Amino acid sequence: MLEVKSVSKSFKSGDGTVSAVNNISFKIKPGVFASIIGPSGSGKSTLISLLGALDRPSNGTITVEGQEISSLNDHDLISYRAKNVGLIFQAYNLIPNLTALENVMLPMEFAKVSKDDREKRAKELLDKVGLAGDKQLRKPGKLSGGEQQRVAIARALSNNPKIILADEPTGNLDSVNGQNIFNLLHDLSKSQKTTVIVVTHDIGLAGKTDMQLSLKDGKLTTKGNVPKNNR
Amino acid sequence: MNALSRGIRNAFRNQIRTIAVVGILSLSIGLSLAMLVAHKTVNQKIASIKANAGNSITISPAGFSNFSQVNNALTVSQLSQVSTLPHITALSETLTDRLTTIGSAQPSFFGDRSSSASSNNLTSLTSPITINTSGRGGRFFAFGGGSNIATNFTPPISIVGTNDPYVLNSQNLTLSSGSFINGSKDTNQAMVSTDMASKNNLKVGSTFTAYSQTLTVTGIYTSGSNQSLSNNIIVALLTEQRLSGQSGVVTGATATVDSLNNLSSATSAVQKALGSSADVTSSQTIANNTIAPLNNVSSVSLYSLIGAVVAGAIIILMIMVMITRERRREIGVLKAIGASNLKVVTQFISEAVTFAVLAAVVGIIIGVAAASPITNTLVNNSSTSSTRFNPSSSNQQSSGAGPVFARGGRGFGRISNDISNIHAVAGLSIIGYGLGAAIIIAVAGSSAAAFFIAKVRPAEVMRME
Repeated sequence: MLEVKSVSKSFKSGDGTVSAVNNISFKIKPGVFASIIGPSGSGKSTLISLLGALDRPSNGTITVEGQEISSLNDHDLISYRAKNVGLIFQAYNLIPNLTALENVMLPMEFAKVSKDDREKRAKELLDKVGLAGDKQLRKPGKLSGGEQQRVAIARALSNNPKIILADEPTGNLDSVNGQNIFNLLHDLSKSQKTTVIVVTHDIGLAGKTDMQLSLKDGKLTTKGNVPKNNR
Repeated sequence: MNALSRGIRNAFRNQIRTIAVVGILSLSIGLSLAMLVAHKTVNQKIASIKANAGNSITISPAGFSNFSQVNNALTVSQLSQVSTLPHITALSETLTDRLTTIGSAQPSFFGDRSSSASSNNLTSLTSPITINTSGRGGRFFAFGGGSNIATNFTPPISIVGTNDPYVLNSQNLTLSSGSFINGSKDTNQAMVSTDMASKNNLKVGSTFTAYSQTLTVTGIYTSGSNQSLSNNIIVALLTEQRLSGQSGVVTGATATVDSLNNLSSATSAVQKALGSSADVTSSQTIANNTIAPLNNVSSVSLYSLIGAVVAGAIIILMIMVMITRERRREIGVLKAIGASNLKVVTQFISEAVTFAVLAAVVGIIIGVAAASPITNTLVNNSSTSSTRFNPSSSNQQSSGAGPVFARGGRGFGRISNDISNIHAVAGLSIIGYGLGAAIIIAVAGSSAAAFFIAKVRPAEVMRME
């Protein structure tokens, strides 16, 4: 269970402070495929950063499986991220001079998985996301956008995380590839019982998720389950 | 693949940059090594010269010059009080004169015409020294008719009367044949160098003339390639005093002190005993004066070494700052997917060390190749002013001169000779220093990058989208 209670995040800007996320509360059950929608500057990426333990909230608490992550020190946060959070970015953010396989192995190295185990699991994950054969040994520059995003998804899954956070995962892809990636994430959330939270501008895609969170000016405006016939 | 191997691989990510970085760093490391070699070599030379200078005191008449043979020489009776002073263990006295080969043109020295060789100062021997008659060789000699050297000119020969025939110009003599003369006995016996013997077809038992007297060769000593030894005839002090008509006169003496610790006080005591009639110089003072140019080289090489090392550190520091700024997003991603600061810093240090080790390999080659020429250039440029008028230095052949012309004692010529005789060799220890310094430079140069990496927050990667 992911529980967010009265979370706010503000940043210093010049002489004043900007409130990026303002007093947000919600809960998401394990295995739920949720989406966060909202216009630019509404605080979506900031909320993802807080949920992914990339940043600490200014106020409020975030609890994952009973563990309050907002109060963890830097060292524990790094360990928490490595083992419990999978991140997918709009621009893929793969390491350019590592192969697809090595990119997927990277988070497992940080989680201290043995070399043999991480290579075996990375191959399995790449097979699972549909990147098989010699493409696994290609560097990101030699892969298409859709393929790179598949590698990024495999990387996010590598440590069997409790939560996968995807910031505009289909933003740089055409509609067909975007739909494929979206379906892949949906299937993963169901098959692996992993909580997947996707930030998107695409209302259509958001309508297919289990739960929708709408943000505007840092505040949660809508929170609720999407009717099953809309998914 | 771990952080170290990722860092090594990252070093080759941009080949043009890698070549540029390695090229610049290798020059810095090469220069550092060359300067380290120069510094070490020169310091070893300084220590060696000081150690070999010995604990002796050189005594010469005040204002005395072997060129002019002015009439203020010391006397045996004056020097007798020196041998009774505390800590003086031995006193070697010499009377040096110049002989002209019969039939040779007679030059004057530095315009000193009053003391040119008299008709009695003639010898049947010919100097083994050859001079360059077409070049600068004759600049120490003046001829009445002009500045060119006369075709019948041969260099003058030194005749040294000594009570210690085992040593000449502070160098122990080795006989190749015959026996040493008795330094305290007035006989017409002489020792000549192997060069002199060869030039004049002399062997033990041969005779020659000097001061219109016939002298017999009893010993031939080895001069090797040392020209300050080769152009001499050695006779007993009493013999030279008699032959030259300078009874009781000496032109130089060397007092040996019982230990280096007493050298300074003994030098003062000798100066006090002889007053203003003598110039008294300790071997260490001569050595110190002589090695002054080497001290300059040592300082220059040390400052250059520090400069090159600092430049290398700044180069790698700037490069690593540039690289980390360029890869800010990548650092954020690594942290976001679970890398600790230490892991990321290790990766960048590994990259910097790879650059530095590659540069060290090239730099060591540059340093080893450049060390000797740079050291020799520094030493030669620095010591030119102190040795160019010293005919007993290694370029004597071209500057055309005679025996021990330099004033200031018998050891001076040998020490001066030693200065230019320097060989810089980059040994394994230097290569080890080079590699060690390169790694230290790389780690130090990565410190700013590490600081920068620590400041990158993983959340930033979300805002870069």
